[in-house]
Amino acid sequence: MSVEPLDPSTLPEHDNLPGNAHAYCVRLTGPLFVQTGRMIAHYPAGGGTIRFEPLTATSLGTLVAERFSSPLYSRDWVVANGQGHVLLGDRGYDINSYDLDEGNLTVRAANLLAFDAGLELKESIVPGFLTLIGTGRFLASSSGPVIFVEPPVRVDPEALVGWADCPAPALHFDAGWMGHFLGAARGALFGTRSGEERQYDFTGAGTVLLQSSERLREDPHALRRLEGEVRQLGPGALQQLQAVVQQQLAEHQQQQR
Amino acid sequence: MSWRLRTPRVLVVDLDGSRGSAVRARTGSMVACEGEVSFKDAGIGGGGGLRAALKQRVAGESLPLMEVSGRGSVHLAVEAGHVLLLELAGEVLRVESESLLCLSEGLRTDVAFTGLRGASSGQGLFTTSVTGHGRVALLSLGGPPIALRVTPRTPLVVDPDAYVGCLGEVRQSFVTDVSWRAVVGESSGEAFSLRFEGSGTVFVQPEERR
Repeated sequence: MSVEPLDPSTLPEHDNLPGNAHAYCVRLTGPLFVQTGRMIAHYPAGGGTIRFEPLTATSLGTLVAERFSSPLYSRDWVVANGQGHVLLGDRGYDINSYDLDEGNLTVRAANLLAFDAGLELKESIVPGFLTLIGTGRFLASSSGPVIFVEPPVRVDPEALVGWADCPAPALHFDAGWMGHFLGAARGALFGTRSGEERQYDFTGAGTVLLQSSERLREDPHALRRLEGEVRQLGPGALQQLQAVVQQQLAEHQQQQR
Repeated sequence: MSWRLRTPRVLVVDLDGSRGSAVRARTGSMVACEGEVSFKDAGIGGGGGLRAALKQRVAGESLPLMEVSGRGSVHLAVEAGHVLLLELAGEVLRVESESLLCLSEGLRTDVAFTGLRGASSGQGLFTTSVTGHGRVALLSLGGPPIALRVTPRTPLVVDPDAYVGCLGEVRQSFVTDVSWRAVVGESSGEAFSLRFEGSGTVFVQPEERR
C-alpha cells in the first residue's frame, strides 16, 4: 500500500484522516484539552507554534479550573493552544467525534482523547470514567467500531465505552454466582469466578456505548483513588487494612517462589 | 522480482532464484513460505558491514535482518502492522529500525546520526538510513500509515513514539518544550518532539510505541 501525502491544505478540519479510522485531525480554533500521549503529529500554522501546556502550568489557569473538574486526572491532560492542525491517535483504536448540545455523556477515562473548552469535565461516580457536560465536541476511541444499545441492558465492564442521558449503572452479579457466594465460606470465595459474574446494569432512557473488547492496562489511578479513601479510615480499620495488605503480599511472595 | 500485498498487513515476495530477487527482511517476520526458500542471518550490522555494526553498537540502533533468497514465495508480517511500500530511486529514506519490514537487494543500510538532544538518551537520536535504487516495505502499527508533506511553509512536529520515517530533503531537530518536561515521570507524556523542516514526506503510525 502506498499513500498520498497529506498537508495542511488537504487535511480535514475536524474528521478522521481519509481511509483511516484510527487517526483523527482537528484544526485548532480555540483551546483544546488533550490527553497526554495521544498527539501523534501537528502542523503549526503561519510560522507559529502550537503550545501543549500541562494543566498545572498553563497561561489559561482560570479556564482550566472552570472546565477541568478532576484532580485525579489532571496530570494526564494538557491544553493545546495556537493555530494549526493536530493529529491524534490512540493504541490503534477507532476514533470517533461526538457532539454534545446541552447534554452529558460519560466515557471511559482511557478512551477519551480530547475535548473542547465548551465542555466541562467531571469525574464519574463509577471509577475510571469521566463525565462531559455542556455544548461542544469531544473525541473518544473504542476497540473496533462503537456499538450503540438502549437500556435496559447489562454489559460487561470491559466492553463499556460510555453512556449518555441514562442514570449511572448499578453493579449486577450473576444469580448463580450470588448463590454460590452466599452458600460458600468467606475464604473460599475467590476460586469461583467465571469472569462474567460482574456486570453493569443500565436502566432508564438513554444510550449505552460498547466496544468489542478492551486491552486492559494497569490502572494508574486505582492506587491514587485508594490512597484518597484510606484517609477516611480510623485507626482500627487501618490496622485491619494493614493485615489484609500483609496477607496479600505474603501470597504474592509465595507464588513467586 | 514481484512484491504484492496479500492483505494490507501481509507482504508477499516472489523469488525467482536470481540474485536480484533476493531481499533482506526483518528477522522473524516470515509467517509462511512456499518453494525452495532459504533464510540466513544477514550478519553483523544487518548486512550493513562492519562499520555499520560498530556504529549500531554505539548508537543502540539494532537492525535484525535476515537474507531471504531462493525460488518460491514468502509471506511477511509483524504484529498485524499495516505495510507501506516505497520505491526508492536514489533518495535517502531514514527510518526507525523497528519499522523496517523488508528491503530489496541493492539497497544499502547504515546508521544515521540525527542530532543531539541533551544528556538523556532515547529514541530518535540515531536512525537507520536506506539508500540506493529498489523497494522497501515499512510497518505501521495500529492502522494504515499516514504520510505528511513537509514544505518550507509547512513545518511539521511529530511525536517520536508515532514516528516511522522520512523521505527527501528534510532537516530534523528536537523540540524540548519546557512545559512538556514538567509532566515527565508522572505520565507517559511526550518529553520532546521531532520537528521537520525542508521539503519531503514524513511517515507516522496511529499507535504509539510503549
